[in-house]
Amino acid sequence: MDLEAFAARLSALRERALQAVRETADPSSLEQVEAAYLGRKGELRTLLGGIGGLPAEDRPRVGALANPIREDVERAIAQRRERLESIALEVRLAGERLDVTLPGRPLRRGSLHPLVETEREIARFFGRYGFVVYESPEVETDERNFEALNIPADHPARDLWDTIYLQPPDSEATGTPDDGRLLLRTHTSPGQIRAMHEMSPPLRVLTPGRCYRYEAVDASHGFEFFQVEGLMVDEGTSLAHLRGLLDEFAHAMFGAARATRFRPGYYPFTEPSVAFDIGCVSCEGSGCPACGRSGWMTILGAGMVHPVVLRNGGLDPERFQGLAFGMGVDRIAMLRYAINDLRVFLANDLRFLERF
Amino acid sequence: MRVPLSWLREFVDIDLSPEALAERLTLLGMEVKGVHRIGADWSSVVVGELLDVYAHPSSPRLSLTRVRTAEGERELEIVCGATNIEAGQRVPVALPGALLPGDRSIGVTRIAGIQSEGMLCSGAELGLTPDADGILILDSESPLGEPLGRLLGDTVLDVDVKPNRGDALSILGLAREVAAATGATVREPLIAVPESGDATDDHLSVTVQDVLRCPRFVARYLDGLTVGPSPTAVQVRLMAAGVRPVSNVVDASNYVMLELGKPVHTFDAAAVTEDRLIVRTARPGERLETLDHIERELSADTLVIADPVGPLAIAGVMGGASSEVREGTTQVIVESALFQPVTIRRTAQAYGLRSEASLRFERGQEPRMARLGADRAAQLIVRWAGGRAAMGAVDTDPVDPPATRLTFRPARIARLLGMSVSGDGMRDLLARAGIVTEPAAARSSVAIIAGERPIPLDPDAAAEALVAIVPGHRRDLAIEADIAEEVARIRGYDAVPSRLPDTSMPGYRPDPRLMVDRVRDLLSGRGLNEVVTYSLVSPQDHASLGHDAQDPATIRAANPVSGEHSELRRSLLPQLMRVLVDNERQRRPDLAVFEVGAVHALVDGHPKEARHLGILLAGAADPLSWDRPSRPVDIADAKGLLEWLVERVAGARLRWEPGPLHEALYHPGRSALAIAELESGHRVELGLVSELDPRYLTACEAQAERVVFARLDLDGLGRTVPAVQRVGDLERLPALERDIAVVVAETQPAGAVEAVMRAAGGPLLASVLLFDRYEGAPLGPGEMSLAYRLRFEPGTRTLDEDGIERAVASVVDALRERLGARLRG
Ligand SMILES: [Zn+2]
Repeated sequence: MDLEAFAARLSALRERALQAVRETADPSSLEQVEAAYLGRKGELRTLLGGIGGLPAEDRPRVGALANPIREDVERAIAQRRERLESIALEVRLAGERLDVTLPGRPLRRGSLHPLVETEREIARFFGRYGFVVYESPEVETDERNFEALNIPADHPARDLWDTIYLQPPDSEATGTPDDGRLLLRTHTSPGQIRAMHEMSPPLRVLTPGRCYRYEAVDASHGFEFFQVEGLMVDEGTSLAHLRGLLDEFAHAMFGAARATRFRPGYYPFTEPSVAFDIGCVSCEGSGCPACGRSGWMTILGAGMVHPVVLRNGGLDPERFQGLAFGMGVDRIAMLRYAINDLRVFLANDLRFLERF
Repeated sequence: MRVPLSWLREFVDIDLSPEALAERLTLLGMEVKGVHRIGADWSSVVVGELLDVYAHPSSPRLSLTRVRTAEGERELEIVCGATNIEAGQRVPVALPGALLPGDRSIGVTRIAGIQSEGMLCSGAELGLTPDADGILILDSESPLGEPLGRLLGDTVLDVDVKPNRGDALSILGLAREVAAATGATVREPLIAVPESGDATDDHLSVTVQDVLRCPRFVARYLDGLTVGPSPTAVQVRLMAAGVRPVSNVVDASNYVMLELGKPVHTFDAAAVTEDRLIVRTARPGERLETLDHIERELSADTLVIADPVGPLAIAGVMGGASSEVREGTTQVIVESALFQPVTIRRTAQAYGLRSEASLRFERGQEPRMARLGADRAAQLIVRWAGGRAAMGAVDTDPVDPPATRLTFRPARIARLLGMSVSGDGMRDLLARAGIVTEPAAARSSVAIIAGERPIPLDPDAAAEALVAIVPGHRRDLAIEADIAEEVARIRGYDAVPSRLPDTSMPGYRPDPRLMVDRVRDLLSGRGLNEVVTYSLVSPQDHASLGHDAQDPATIRAANPVSGEHSELRRSLLPQLMRVLVDNERQRRPDLAVFEVGAVHALVDGHPKEARHLGILLAGAADPLSWDRPSRPVDIADAKGLLEWLVERVAGARLRWEPGPLHEALYHPGRSALAIAELESGHRVELGLVSELDPRYLTACEAQAERVVFARLDLDGLGRTVPAVQRVGDLERLPALERDIAVVVAETQPAGAVEAVMRAAGGPLLASVLLFDRYEGAPLGPGEMSLAYRLRFEPGTRTLDEDGIERAVASVVDALRERLGARLRG
């Protein structure tokens, strides 16, 4: 065999190998082809193993002949592999097609109760002005709920609060507490007395919480309801500060353009007393049944802390002045969410809760 | 208080529209809750004259009338059933096409065969008087054809008078408020009693035995009266003010009460034995039949007006039937007294007899009104019922007390209001409310708190101070702050500047709601719905929790609103079950809700409030979906929630121990206590998870087969939150993990296995995660395999394989020694 014949066999091998590579349909047959031609026992090795039959002077030239052929075949295999892999991926992706219009995997909806959220928003607003939440108990004494707030027994103003009293604790078993008749607080105002005793001015606290009244349940009354009480005491605290805070509050809760009205009210524990109105959220002031055709809705009561209340809180009424306000969270929430019947708040119907 | 404007105008000129007046009064603190128009619901009702009245040919109870409503106009023929009509009277005629109250329309009809062109109206049909039988007979001067609305229509303001302003529960009092608002002048009523004959003293005597509770008693005597209906105009006015007319004498006392705010009572003098009235407390066993014809046993502290024989009236609250003025009464004693407000309030409450009169007594009376009320009543009775009033009155305390003098400091008031008003400005404003002012004397003192010693002023302060001379009706003005409110009120609250606080800020205080809000945010973010339920629950609710009706720790209402809500909840569970049951009825059986709220109990006799988180899970654990099977909730769901929550909020880890045992409430094998393991090494019980006992579910009428309840003590959780959470730097070296499968007895609590591993794993063992639990072949019977992934954090020093193997080996040794466990595979 001379070099020429050897070259021809190499060339033929190349053609067959390239042909075989082109004909592969998947990666495994490509690997077989690769092994058959380029592997350790492949045709190329076998052919090169036969160079002993060549004249000695031709042998060094064999490498120059065989290497390009090996490279051609290797390149062809690599290209073919890439091609086959991309075909395989396309086939796989085509097979993985989903109906992309299917809905997502549902999660539980979750919600926060509108009363608690309204309370938090109120607290958040007043927090900007240094009011920090001060918690006061729901079970109170007649003394703190009424007497200390300038509402003595048999005072006509007691008509404003129908009270749920508590049975006295069983004295035999437990020993009677000596701090007076117990009741369920009718308002958050006893928190004022507690806060004044516990802290000293400058004082800014917010007492949110559940209150109780002996009342029949209807669309606008419940025997359990939620209030937020605010108290600020300092030497210079004035009615003007009260108005400033309440105006800002109305704007924060009901829109910056909301009209407000500051007018006289009556509470035994404030003097002067204030009723605070906002422009009707239902008719925007033109008059409708919701606002009694007046265009105004009362959202809270307020005033300057009565001197006797300051004194009952352990503060000198000659030196200190305080402002206080109290509002029904239910009322604020009803106005903000356009709810007409407050019974829905404690009914806990999921259809309602899921809207928040 | 219902205020007819026609009446108010008798006392003060008003140039404003009713709506504008209503707003001015509201801004003055006399809130007008409504403006009603009487006559707004009449149309085509005019004044007519009866020309002829004759019997109906076929129906004896009916009359035929000829009516004209204008000179020279065609006459109308109208059939009428009333018997009080006669020719020449002027009456309201509803013309064909008229509308009456209640959307009643009037046309041409045939009544008993005769055509009737419209209708003659009774007072009741027009809503003017209570009389439904007779036709309303109008004043003979009423112009023919005049629309009735122009003649008898009125506007009524519904004013919400606050408890401190009893003086404004009267037309006169509200006239004063109108004057304060508009600057107009009040015309006090001209009270002149047409007296004649002998003196009142000759006809009666009054003895007050309890001067404290009845400081003044004024009486007048009238005779020769004819009791009958009041003039139509009076009846119309009383009706407009919301008081039903009765008879001229009774109407006179009601008229005075509404006009002057002074309750007045009238006795039939013939029923008063020996003409002697005695004001005293009731004697044991005394009884009185009151005007409502109920025989009442009088309690010993009841103040009565009696004659020598026995009680005639409960003072200030209700008269007695025996001395009631009725048809045929000819002599009357008018009583106009002052009673201690507290007495009247207690008595009216005790007998359940609160009335317009008792309301006015409760709020206090102006002393001079005792005499004025008696005189005004006598004047009106004589005018409406004829007869004469005896000369003078019996008056137990005829001298009106001097006006209260109230010192105030304009500068102090300006500081309280945050408003610049000068002393002179304040004097002008107070003058509009009828309060005269003058400079204070050199040695003045100022009342800060009612009933306490006033604070003496130094000479400089006294020189600036003023004195308000408070009119007798303003019983609400007692301290300097009251004058401040009066100044602001008359000036208008609208003039108060709106200013944000510019005073010093308080020091830092922690916000107790921060943690609670974090819990709420986390749980709602996890898909739970927050609920707010009642805190008052029923005794049955508590009984099923094991707190029976005698339980000394339960706090109970003395006057519950209902049996369903009579005890303060000791657990959130009953009301959460209510939420479940209510939603099941709405076909929403899948529930994941939570509530944060207070629970109550008596501890050592003192009420104690604790803040709890309650979670209730029922139905499917996940929302219904197209690609996964539905799975019912179980306690592992609740455990996972609590573990995650406590870790997020307090950085603490929960472990579970069996319990609590509670028959027919908690599933005996599916309840666990949540124990927090703190960084400090302390262990705190923070709550529980439980599948509820089927018997409890049945008792609650729940449909669900399995319901999981979880409770977390938020006060306790709050105490576990460290002030500074020591997170530390991130380890620079990667963590290493080893999985081991431990074979233990099937009855072996997994909690103990984990506890042993943690104790033995050394400080590098960062976490232990159970990822598989297996029973069955090739394990032996009664065996189970628990597969854990142990995660080691090497910290700062390199952890070699040997180190880990040593840690794992000590874990395995401990498991074998303490629990008899072996490794699987
Ligand atoms: Zn409106």
